[in-house]
Amino acid sequence: MVLFVIFCPIVAAILIMAGAPARKTALAASGLAFAAALFLFGSFGKNQHDFQHVTSFIISPEWHLSFTTGIDGLSLVMVLLATTVTLAAVWFTGTIEKYENAFYACLLFISGGAIGAFASIDLFFLYAFHELALIPTFLLIGIWGSGNRVAAAWKITIYLAIGSFILLLGLILLYQSFPASARSFDIRALKAAANLGQITSDAQSHVYLLLLIGFGILISLFPFHTWAPEAYASAPAPAAMLHAGVIKKFGLYGLLRLAIPLLPDGARHWADLLVVLLLGNIIYVGLVTIAQKRLDWTLGYSSVMHMGYIFLGIASATILSTTGAVVLMFGHGLSIALLFALAGELRKRTGTLAFDELGGLAKLMPFAGLAFGFGTFAAIGLPGLANFAGEIMIFFGAFKNGWEISRFHIFQIATVLALWGVVISTVYMLRAYRKVFTGAPNERWKEIADLRFGLRLPVTLLVGALLCCGFFPQSLVRIVTPTFSSYLTAERQVTGMEPGSQNSSSTQRAYNIQKVAVR
Amino acid sequence: MITLADYLIVSGILFAIGFAGVMLRRNVIIILMSLELMLNAANLSLVAFSRFRVGPTGLPDYNAQVFVFFIITVAAAEVAVGLAILVALYRARQTTDVNDISSLKF
Amino acid sequence: MNSILPWIILLTPLSSAVVITLFTLRWKTVSSLISVAAVLVSFVCSCLIFTQSNIAAAEFIWIDVAGALKVPVGFTLDQLSKTMLLVVTGVGATIHIYSLGYMRDDDGKSRYFAALSLFMFAMLGIVLANNFVMLFIFWELVGFTSYVLIGHWFYRDAPADAANKAFITTRIGDFGFMIGILMVWMATGSVVFSEIAPRMPGLAGHSTFLTLAALLVFCGAVGKSAQFPLHVWLPDAMEGPTPVSALIHAATMVAAGVYMLVRVAFVIQASQTALLVVAWIGTITAVMAGLIATQQNDIKRILAYSTLSQLGYMIMAVGLASNNAAMFHLFTHAFFKALLFLGAGSIIVMLHHEQDIWKMGGLFRKLPVTFVTFGIGALALMGCPPFSGFFSKDAILALAYERNMPIFIVGLFTAFLTAFYVVRLLVIVFFGETRSAAARESKESPLVMTGPLIVLAIVAAVGGFGFFARNFLALPTEKEPAYIVSVLAFAAVIMGAGLAIAIYRNRTGEPIDVELLRHKFYFDEFYAWLINWTQELLARISAFFDRWIIDTGAVDGSSRGTWGAGALLRLIQVGNLQAYVFLFGLGVVAVIYIAVFR
Repeated sequence: MVLFVIFCPIVAAILIMAGAPARKTALAASGLAFAAALFLFGSFGKNQHDFQHVTSFIISPEWHLSFTTGIDGLSLVMVLLATTVTLAAVWFTGTIEKYENAFYACLLFISGGAIGAFASIDLFFLYAFHELALIPTFLLIGIWGSGNRVAAAWKITIYLAIGSFILLLGLILLYQSFPASARSFDIRALKAAANLGQITSDAQSHVYLLLLIGFGILISLFPFHTWAPEAYASAPAPAAMLHAGVIKKFGLYGLLRLAIPLLPDGARHWADLLVVLLLGNIIYVGLVTIAQKRLDWTLGYSSVMHMGYIFLGIASATILSTTGAVVLMFGHGLSIALLFALAGELRKRTGTLAFDELGGLAKLMPFAGLAFGFGTFAAIGLPGLANFAGEIMIFFGAFKNGWEISRFHIFQIATVLALWGVVISTVYMLRAYRKVFTGAPNERWKEIADLRFGLRLPVTLLVGALLCCGFFPQSLVRIVTPTFSSYLTAERQVTGMEPGSQNSSSTQRAYNIQKVAVR
Repeated sequence: MITLADYLIVSGILFAIGFAGVMLRRNVIIILMSLELMLNAANLSLVAFSRFRVGPTGLPDYNAQVFVFFIITVAAAEVAVGLAILVALYRARQTTDVNDISSLKF
Repeated sequence: MNSILPWIILLTPLSSAVVITLFTLRWKTVSSLISVAAVLVSFVCSCLIFTQSNIAAAEFIWIDVAGALKVPVGFTLDQLSKTMLLVVTGVGATIHIYSLGYMRDDDGKSRYFAALSLFMFAMLGIVLANNFVMLFIFWELVGFTSYVLIGHWFYRDAPADAANKAFITTRIGDFGFMIGILMVWMATGSVVFSEIAPRMPGLAGHSTFLTLAALLVFCGAVGKSAQFPLHVWLPDAMEGPTPVSALIHAATMVAAGVYMLVRVAFVIQASQTALLVVAWIGTITAVMAGLIATQQNDIKRILAYSTLSQLGYMIMAVGLASNNAAMFHLFTHAFFKALLFLGAGSIIVMLHHEQDIWKMGGLFRKLPVTFVTFGIGALALMGCPPFSGFFSKDAILALAYERNMPIFIVGLFTAFLTAFYVVRLLVIVFFGETRSAAARESKESPLVMTGPLIVLAIVAAVGGFGFFARNFLALPTEKEPAYIVSVLAFAAVIMGAGLAIAIYRNRTGEPIDVELLRHKFYFDEFYAWLINWTQELLARISAFFDRWIIDTGAVDGSSRGTWGAGALLRLIQVGNLQAYVFLFGLGVVAVIYIAVFR
């Protein structure tokens, strides 16, 4: 079943390249993948730590290389996100003038690559599937983009290729840092070996740094974020939806899947650095977003900013904050996809997304105004939509680190600044909404058309998913938490750190892999 | 007595002359001849080593002399190919002056 | 025994909002009736709950992360919340019915009623919440519906800007609120009120921590209840329809801050410093708003500043550690302020959306019912016996007299100011000559609007009586106010009223001109300057840094550097065979050197 979800888009892409009717095949494939993902969600066994629906094809026994796929709570949420955004993105594609087949094929390759990466249990294929998504992005932005598209396409591809290269170095080093008998490409085997403490502390620090930078470039961690705004501004809307909504989350998924469980000492060692960088994402990039004068740039920078919150969840490495990070990933993916989709529709109708030239569009396009309003308030963390549930768990989890009643340590300060970031995001999103949708309507756009019925369905899908997970976040929390409770409770003796040392003295800061009792 | 060092000095001088020829002469044919000179200088030093390094059994080490045969063979083959390229080059460019052949200049 | 009534109260307005948004947007009358029906259902259920004691309801677990954080959606059903439920649903119901008349000809009527229902859902959630996170969730939702309702006429610039201002300002308050919640959670290990309260005494001794936590939690109230210095959004919020101003920005949402402080009194009262700060902020707000109100010419703005002032009184009472006095004033204020706003709405609509008091006048003849009800509300607001406002305001002043004399003096001065601007309003609007054509042609409002006015007037009139309050509203009131306080307060009222009548009788224009007050102490200008020189400046610098230094400098720089290095290396390709041979020879020498001599 998992293989079906992975290969459905890829096979459909190949068929489309071979000449099948582009839009119908793409819609059918993404619809089927979405349905299959929902089925997996429904049939998922709860309270299980291990991977489910595992299928494995041995490729090289001596290198322990096999094509293994399966899902656990974390992957399931990501696969669900990927299929939902794919369906919405494919649906939102309007008429493509040139090379229509290639467009849909690129979209589906990106989608298949993302799903494959999320569902892989083998390290090699995790990386390989992600690389599958790199070149189609280049083509989508370069050929069908707008504005400064060629330069943006080159920049994003080369930048992400450098990031992938650093990531590859990190992965190879990770593989090498295990003793020869324990080496394997299978993540489960690696985790078992890491649990026995088979990677030295020093090695963990080095590998973690490489992985952090490699994944960080892919996630637009400050200061490696400048590829994102121009690329998203120039990309066609479906490409921006897929990239900002799904591909960016691959890096975060990688950190959660590989870096934290296998390299806890490294994580602890570099936690301070990561906190400083993520504050750069939240506060600095937040301020930059306020100064933007175009909607596409605002949305691009805002997607960079929100990665900071997810990083806070990962840096805290407690079960509460990582669960929040996953829920926020899900919510953010949906909301940014919605926002980019609507921005794309606006650009199609008006040719411009500059604040000065738009205004008062909600009166002329009420449905689009309402939908964009939902997206806006989701992005700024209004309760009732999925993003808030994630953010609140992240804040609670992050605040807890190294807590002492007499003073604030770095994680408490970081949480306070992240909360101020929420105010910053409110300022720029509401300003954007005010400049584009509310206020006196601009005379130029009197005849503008609202979203046709066909496009209202994917919008409803995205908004519905946001509301569902906003009102009932426990449905996600319930499947995600068992994944983390397995390795965030593993007894790990590290020099100078006693298990269960939460209220340590002020000289010893405890960014603990939270020791939580397993129910 | 003529020692090993003498042979090596001669070999070195020959090699230097050959190398100077490759670097300084304009005509491609002369360059090829200088290349041959360098190879033969290497041959000379190999034979000298073979003659003066006597093994424990009292016999010279013949490996070097065998190696010389290989080098002669390879040199011959290389000259054949080199001259063929030279002829083709002359037919294409009507010149054998090496300074005129610079299409790969940036 | 678990009752389903609280769930019905909470979810009926939500269902109404959902049904209207999804299905009946096109049929405006149907939407309005659905919304009114929903709030009436909630009101009836609140009455039923009020009569029952010892009621409980089932919880729904919203988040439960392996025990690390457990957030239920549960209900607090004590005397305080039951009474508040009655007030909220009661005032809400009258305003819903009033809106049927006020918004009759509006295009966005369905949208309005959907938002109104959503607001009721959120406000009832605040009242019923049993833990901090649930409170925060509904707190934010109330802010959101306020945004939607202030910006009801979003296609005009002023309401759109006012909505943004309101939401962002309250968000700043919520920022502090959230940090306070996090601190309390970390120290006590739970977010549920009933679990936190017994653990608070265990934290005694960490006074800095307690003060900080209490003040941060108070931040939320500063934002939501528009206290100084986050008060600037409330007057602008008058851009919304008048029933919205009545319901949200007078009776319920702004009172949510006070309600929250009373609900979590175990946090606020843990620190004496915090209480003092709270009391003074309330006092400052009260007197500042009172001063500004004396110079305003828009009827809704005057009422808005008066709301700010009365909220200041409530916060003052909280700071003086008397929750009962604060809640008493909250209840009476809800009724008479809603009454005043609805009355103002009646005037505005009958004068074809005229809001300038200098264009009104002589309306006591034209709109008699409005005049009488408005007058009752005004007298209650001033604190004139025997109306309800007298009892509640006196309770607060008596507290101040006992516990903090400077605050009492300022409070007394504010009572004087209140009487002054209220009577100024009455005289200019209702008496004298009619000053415009619209005023001359006006007539009384229809019953659907005057009905709610009458109902509210009755409660505003008799709601204060001690035994009445004790028996019907079941509120324990303070002991009888000290005699001297009542005398002083009444004297202040008489002086203020007399002065206003003397100055404003038979005027056609504003005789006094105090620029500082007319410009609202220049707060808006100051904040705009501050934001421009902090946030906007930082934003511009950051954007410049990002675009030119990181992107063009570092990223493009590295690409250009690579290109440059390539261009430099290209120079080696001279195309000359002999040069290559030379370099080759150099390389061989280097290799031999390294191999042999190192």
